Amino acid sequence: MTEKLSLTELQLLIRDSLYIALPDMYWVIAEISEIKENYAGHCYLELVEKHPDEKNVRARVKAIIWSKRYRFLKSFFENITGESLRQGMKILVRTKVEYHELYGLSLIISDIDPSFTLGEMAIKRQLIIKRLEDDGVITMNKELDFPLVPQKIAIVSSKSAAGYSDFLSHLTNNNYGYIFYTLLFETAMQGTDTEISVINTLNKIAQFAGLFDVVVIIRGGGSLTDLSWFDNYNIAYHVTQFPLPVITGIGHEKDLSVTDIVAYQSLKTPTAVADYLINCIANTENHLNEISSGIIESSRKILEENRNRIETSRLKIIPVARLMISDIKEQLSGLLIEMINTGKEIMGKAALIPSYLKSGLISETKSILEKNNSSFKQKKYNLASYTANYLTLNNNKINGLENSLKILSPGNVLKRGYTITSLNGRIIKSSGLIKTDDIIDTTFSDGKIKSKVIKNKNL
Amino acid sequence: MAKKEFSFNEAVKEIEKILGNIESGILDVDKLSIEVKKAAGLIRQCQKKLRSTEEEINSIFKDLV
Repeated sequence: MTEKLSLTELQLLIRDSLYIALPDMYWVIAEISEIKENYAGHCYLELVEKHPDEKNVRARVKAIIWSKRYRFLKSFFENITGESLRQGMKILVRTKVEYHELYGLSLIISDIDPSFTLGEMAIKRQLIIKRLEDDGVITMNKELDFPLVPQKIAIVSSKSAAGYSDFLSHLTNNNYGYIFYTLLFETAMQGTDTEISVINTLNKIAQFAGLFDVVVIIRGGGSLTDLSWFDNYNIAYHVTQFPLPVITGIGHEKDLSVTDIVAYQSLKTPTAVADYLINCIANTENHLNEISSGIIESSRKILEENRNRIETSRLKIIPVARLMISDIKEQLSGLLIEMINTGKEIMGKAALIPSYLKSGLISETKSILEKNNSSFKQKKYNLASYTANYLTLNNNKINGLENSLKILSPGNVLKRGYTITSLNGRIIKSSGLIKTDDIIDTTFSDGKIKSKVIKNKNL
Repeated sequence: MAKKEFSFNEAVKEIEKILGNIESGILDVDKLSIEVKKAAGLIRQCQKKLRSTEEEINSIFKDLV
């Protein structure tokens, strides 16, 4: 019978053997399958290595980062990767193997290489992008028509997410007074539930797609954001297949997630998303204002042409009418002389005609002459009044049209708080045309000011 | 009969068409007046859509939650 050992003695034997057999520190590649921080600030992990099929685990071990070291490594890792250590992440760590008689074997982590994790994440992201490209779907959401006025917005976010309330207040307090209709679909924006939660939400919104103009996926920035939850094939695939344009603002300064890449538009922060939506509407309104100006300008031109034509007609009508009147006058007086002569001749020839017939003939002739004269006067009057009426009618039409045009005039737009900026008398539509030290004129509804440009952020 | 919903896109297309007609110079003063009034009406409707709340949409959204 060999020597009997107590359990403690055996454990200590294992400990010492391991210490002798594995005296060095080792750099080890592993995947985090569990991670938690205890009350004392120590970090307890379970590390695994999976089969290439990504399903079965071929090795597993406990690991610890003591609190003092953990505080440093945590912020070091987060600063470089922009991610916190989490389940599913591949890491490269420097470890010492330790064996404790009570707690068994564990790896004590003393260092971590964030660049390895960055590389791993980049490779994973590239694989997802490649797969979406191979599926032929990667640009599908970008190919959708963007609405002229994105007012009805489905929000994928969480009430508690930083940035959600910023987004709402930014949107509702926009300088233009635009109305937005928003509906929040409560969704987990980080953690292991992110994938299923985002997909469920997108499916739900898709059922009511007709009620919305766009979908926004937003989450606050803060000091740290776990962007890699959105480096996810299934979320990205659902975005590519979504019937409405998707805009992301998931708060990451350094990098784009795959979801950002496939979205119609990706922006860094929720407030940037709000600005984007407001600007889309402002651009549409600008376009409308430009068309209004075009209508005013072209209509004015047509009115001016018509005015000129009326004036030309008026000037032409006067001498023609005068000529006609004098022609008629001449004809009439010729007729009169002829009648008198004929009358006289008849009277001379018929000296024997009784006097009552004579006087009848005279009065008849007089009345014919008077009638002719008054019809001439009437014609003259008619000509004058018809011409005047025609001119007034046309003038009225033009004035009426001018009133319609006033509704479109920029003055009304200015009253709502817009201004027109001009440089050297030319209207400026892009900030890129303005340089530092330029003197610009700003037209308000009630006056003009001159100002000097101190800085153009776009240059 | 249900009222046809105002479509911003269609309104903008219509206004653009009116501008095209005016610019082409084919309209006489009578037709010009009609078209300008129509454009002014559509533009007013567009402005209204941007700045006045449609309670109907709010209530539909409330029902969805």
